[in-house]
Amino acid sequence: MIGLLMVTSIILAAIFAVQISGHDPDYIDPINSRLNPEWGHLMGTDQLGRDMFSRVLYGARQSIYIGVVASLLANLLGTFLGAVAGYLGGKFDTIVMRLSELVMTFPQLILVLIFVSLLGQGVNNVIFVFAVTGWMTTFRLVRGEFFSLREEAFVEADRAFGFSKPRIIFLHLLPNTISPIVVAFTVNIAIYIIAEAGLSFLGLGVPITTPTWGNLLAAAQSPVVVNEYWWLWVFPALAIVVFVLGVNFIGDGLRDVLDPRQKSITTKHSFKKALFGRFVRES
Amino acid sequence: MAFAISALIFFASRLSPIDPINALISPDAASDPANLELLRQELGLNDHIVIQYFNWLKELAQGNFGYSIQSGQAISEILALRMPATLELVLSALVLSTILALTIGLFAGANRGGLADKASRILAVIGIAVPDFFIGLAFLNVFAYNLGWLPTGQRLSPGQVTFMDRFPHLILPVATLTVAMLAVLIRYTRNSVLDTLNKDFVKTARSKGVPEWKVLFSHVFRNSLGPVMVILAFRLPLLVGGSILVETVFQWPGIGSTVVAAVSASDYPVIMVISMIVAMVILVASFLVDIVKSILDPRVRLGGGAS
Repeated sequence: MIGLLMVTSIILAAIFAVQISGHDPDYIDPINSRLNPEWGHLMGTDQLGRDMFSRVLYGARQSIYIGVVASLLANLLGTFLGAVAGYLGGKFDTIVMRLSELVMTFPQLILVLIFVSLLGQGVNNVIFVFAVTGWMTTFRLVRGEFFSLREEAFVEADRAFGFSKPRIIFLHLLPNTISPIVVAFTVNIAIYIIAEAGLSFLGLGVPITTPTWGNLLAAAQSPVVVNEYWWLWVFPALAIVVFVLGVNFIGDGLRDVLDPRQKSITTKHSFKKALFGRFVRES
Repeated sequence: MAFAISALIFFASRLSPIDPINALISPDAASDPANLELLRQELGLNDHIVIQYFNWLKELAQGNFGYSIQSGQAISEILALRMPATLELVLSALVLSTILALTIGLFAGANRGGLADKASRILAVIGIAVPDFFIGLAFLNVFAYNLGWLPTGQRLSPGQVTFMDRFPHLILPVATLTVAMLAVLIRYTRNSVLDTLNKDFVKTARSKGVPEWKVLFSHVFRNSLGPVMVILAFRLPLLVGGSILVETVFQWPGIGSTVVAAVSASDYPVIMVISMIVAMVILVASFLVDIVKSILDPRVRLGGGAS
């Protein structure tokens, strides 16, 4: 619940950024540069006199957009590949599995850096890179679920009816695996928002002209800013921390509701037994 | 696997729209296409791409890593210069975070709801939600600028050579990296300890009258190390890859900052070699995991046989 509150309040603030901040995030006002946080400029102003509060709010739009869309794409890709590979097995499964191992072997940040250097910078490129480098966890999750599901009686019945493979995979099997996918989706949002921040902090993510939380933090590359103008990097970072925490809380909550089997590692066995008794599926 | 990775690295870098030749040649010479063609011929860039790939592999195997486009330095030279810095930073953080995480995790697991457990929860939250470079920035602001206790970055101040001179420079980056690494490790240790505590052999040991501390240290601890080792092994690649973000924050002259510089300058030879080395270390690390597991738990047999 706290998580929901944290996330919705930030999202609402981002949507109504214009009404709330009362400043144009790109309005340059050199006379009022580097103001301390005060009434009127709740989070102070940056080197060019732009209002930090409205920049953080507008940054929220970009950062959340990147996190959500990248997570959505990565999960779609992972789910699709996992579903097909898990149901068909065989050669396709082996190839995709090797591919996922290949991508996982790489340290993600280096992989992302290589991709960014190839594709150039930009919001959509960053999203693409995150999707390409982040589909493996969902893939493995869905593939595992499908492996155990495809032996179930209702799937056999489907096959006996002569349903086409796509129909069995996407209409009959996929709905049964949707809850772990949803949980993975929320957790990935948090991961990508932090990744975007890191990438932009290095100056390799979204072009500096677009305010994102990472780009705002990049101001702290200069020692003077770290030392004297703390509000320039503390507030964007706090926004990230609050949002990511909120998303994680939601993810935990969703997991408890949707997937009681995974409630927690420590109570797994007893909880499983208590809920499903002897109907627990052996995995 | 190693070949697949090397092929991926090589061909991905060749997809780049940027022609590496432009950086090698002076603008005057570049105005004449004949010069460009000559240089291409010399560097073997006109050969078929598959041949180029095998040439690259051959050179790599012979220890010839090529030259940086940016500075013209031999890459092996750059590595020799930067590697010690990264090793120094990551190794200390790795050792420190492991010792701390194992201790806190053990006590948190053994004494649920106690002080260590609460500390582990707070650290876990930090580890999830706070980007590690923000921890670094906060440390910098407080300890280096406001309190003035520690230097603000770099590995050395001018004119200092002894280890005692270097030590203060090491504290903040290592602390940052340690905190960032702690969270996951503590959680794993704690859960693993809790899992082990529920096992039958722990009950047996207790009912035999083995003192509680001995149960904890020699029975539980040893048996809960497995999952923790896996996490640790997957951190080994950091030893050569360096922590990119932390190194950037503290202007630490290690491999991580080399990667960043290489990427911003599209310095492909450097990126290729470093990613190749890191990938190799990852392969070795996952091999090590299997070995360590079989040492810790005799039930796991290497290769064939029932696991």
